[in-house]
Amino acid sequence: MRKKWLVLLVLAAFVMTGLTFSGCKKPEYIKIGIIGPMQFLQGRHHWLGAQMAEEDINAAGGVKIGDKTYLVKCIQIDTNEILSVDDAANAVERAITVDNVDFLVGAFRSEATLAMQDIAMDYKKIFVVCGASHTELSNRVASDYERYKYWFRVTPENVSYLVKDSLILLTYVAGIVREELGIQVPKVAVVIEQAVAGDPLAAAANALIPTMGMQVVGTWRPSPTATDVTAELTAIRDSGAHIIYTYFSAASGVPYARQWGELEIPACSVGINVEAQSMGFIDATGGYGNYELTLNTLAPGCAQTDKTIEFYNKFVERSGEYPTYNAGTYDAIWILTQAVERAGTLDPDAIVVEMEKTDYQGAAGRIVFDQRHDVTWGPGFVTAIGTQWQNGELKCVWPYEWLLPGMTEPLTYPGTVKYQIPPWVLEAYGG
Amino acid sequence: MRRYLAYLWREFRGEILVLPGRTILFSATAILLILPLLYPHPYLLRILALTFIFAIFAASWDLLSGFVGQLNLGHAIFFGVAAYASAILNLRLGLPIIITIPVGAVAAVVAGLVVGIPCLRLKGQYLSLATLAFPVILMGLVFMFTEFTGGELGVSGLTRLAPTRLHEYYISAFVGVLSILAIWKITDSKLGLVLHAIREDEVAARASGINTSQYKLIAFCLSGLFAGIAGGLYAHFMRIAGPQSLSMLTSFQAIIWTIFGGIATIYGAVVGVFVLFPMLEVLRVAPEIRLLLYAAIIVLVLRFMPEGLAPWVVDRLERECPRCKEHNAFTRRECRVCGTPLRVPLQKTPVSGEHMSGGEGLSASQEGG
Repeated sequence: MRKKWLVLLVLAAFVMTGLTFSGCKKPEYIKIGIIGPMQFLQGRHHWLGAQMAEEDINAAGGVKIGDKTYLVKCIQIDTNEILSVDDAANAVERAITVDNVDFLVGAFRSEATLAMQDIAMDYKKIFVVCGASHTELSNRVASDYERYKYWFRVTPENVSYLVKDSLILLTYVAGIVREELGIQVPKVAVVIEQAVAGDPLAAAANALIPTMGMQVVGTWRPSPTATDVTAELTAIRDSGAHIIYTYFSAASGVPYARQWGELEIPACSVGINVEAQSMGFIDATGGYGNYELTLNTLAPGCAQTDKTIEFYNKFVERSGEYPTYNAGTYDAIWILTQAVERAGTLDPDAIVVEMEKTDYQGAAGRIVFDQRHDVTWGPGFVTAIGTQWQNGELKCVWPYEWLLPGMTEPLTYPGTVKYQIPPWVLEAYGG
Repeated sequence: MRRYLAYLWREFRGEILVLPGRTILFSATAILLILPLLYPHPYLLRILALTFIFAIFAASWDLLSGFVGQLNLGHAIFFGVAAYASAILNLRLGLPIIITIPVGAVAAVVAGLVVGIPCLRLKGQYLSLATLAFPVILMGLVFMFTEFTGGELGVSGLTRLAPTRLHEYYISAFVGVLSILAIWKITDSKLGLVLHAIREDEVAARASGINTSQYKLIAFCLSGLFAGIAGGLYAHFMRIAGPQSLSMLTSFQAIIWTIFGGIATIYGAVVGVFVLFPMLEVLRVAPEIRLLLYAAIIVLVLRFMPEGLAPWVVDRLERECPRCKEHNAFTRRECRVCGTPLRVPLQKTPVSGEHMSGGEGLSASQEGG
């Protein structure tokens, strides 16, 4: 008898559970494939930025399309693109045809991104890049709009703007050198690592710097894997350079900065040093990396927009790392979902129309797409920033009272401090 | 017609069905050619098309390094030269695929001569190091003439191999099967015998009147031709020819696939690609440890199957006749050609004074003389 009751009880429990679950509405999802080299820092930051966007959007009620509400679901797609282009292309096709993602966000290496772009366009999937900087990607939109219109770039600025920004940063430092050291025509040593991307930069620097009221005293091309750049730095000291214009995309940026500080080379260092963007830079240089100035995207305490500091702090809290431009997936997903809401459909053609109307205050600036679906560069839109290590802390030092023709007010982001000339340089030139 | 069909069936039964290894290869090829019609999933077809392309590439390495013993560590040069040549011809001159891929393959043959001539007098590790240098030199040229080669970014926006994925797959599959059969046939021909002799003992081959330099150059050119076909197909399939096609990773992939599958067999190289390349896709289920698992599987297979996966499987499915050296299915008791017993009972320990009788206690080789 007791057994019978037990059976009935279990049956009743099953029926109740079934009824409860049948009453629940299954949530519907917009699937976003986050593509990147997930075993590397770039991919990790793609993913972290995307996860933060997913949580924030879902917490705010999801994405409304007509009467329906969708939740955002990010799917991690490891493209392994740093090592293999085939792997990246395979991963993207798998994401589209097996995981059935609605959109693609991320990518880092330009060569692989071109291959992935073609696949995404074959399937008319909206693909928002947050990492690859080459202009060829956006040129394709201009040359064949109907095919490539589904492609957009949120970060970084394309490579030609990066060169422009780094030269503007050089002009800014040259102005301070003129003002504080009284040197009217500063001498510039160009130090560009032996990387492919460095070749046009070296050519541009040699051609443009003399037209900017400076004098080039020589060009040095250390190896990207150099562990010692004493020879180059000694030659620079002998050349009488007041400023070193740098480009280091690889690990050699660490020995360069360490030896520059250790040898107290009497020249301000300014340009691009990717290693100087990371949190562990000061430790890696044994503390000698102070005063190194590099182009960057975000910095602690620097508010390009109202959203920057909140995003920055949240990212650092979650990952223990400073966010790189790859974390722009956060803004990209917000932009994408808002365009979907405005379009009121998941039809890619309708979403493209809305994406083109984007005017969004993101963490790194105001994002508006140009005709090539590239992020618009300039004051009031997105620019890079200049960050300098001061007393072991990363500070934003540029834009600082930056005034371009046509601007009514000079631009300084809140939280920006003034650039500091290294004390040994001041001492050397009696500043 | 009926007689012709009966003849075909007889040949098929006598040449293919008679050996498990050949039956498996035939069945796999048949499945690969029919499956896409039943399940034309674009991702599956993509992986299989690339697998066919890489199978040609791996088999071409096996031809040069496995059969002729010219250990080439820079095989990517042939692949890359053809990929770039096809890409530049297609993009800059607007030539169609039917021209760009063959011309790319010819460019790879020329690359074979360029690599082969200076390497004729080199052997062993010196040859390997010299071959390793060529893709590096070419990579330098790619970065020097960026207006033609696109530099770091490569040449992109090429014409698709075919308008649909199914067509792309069948082009890759047919070219793949034909190329692999051609390589197999070469190794089985008189030329193959000479190449084999050069690998075994070059001095002896020369002493027998073989112009080894000429044959080695032929091997470099043939290997270049097939690697070039793969390179051209790859460039149009991916719609990009970039520096990666010349990278060391590309060269080493061919070596890994071939050694994993079984070197100096051709079919081993093909099996290696068909196991390892799709396996890398299957391992996407565990992205964090994907490459680790991949490496671990290769190490384990090579630890327990040192001659490679395919020869290990064939050794278990087939038996070589000790007399005529023909292969037989493991189920056979006697050789299908000469009738020599293949399964001989264990030799009994002779009891003192007892004479061994007949052939029962003899090993097959003793019996066969």
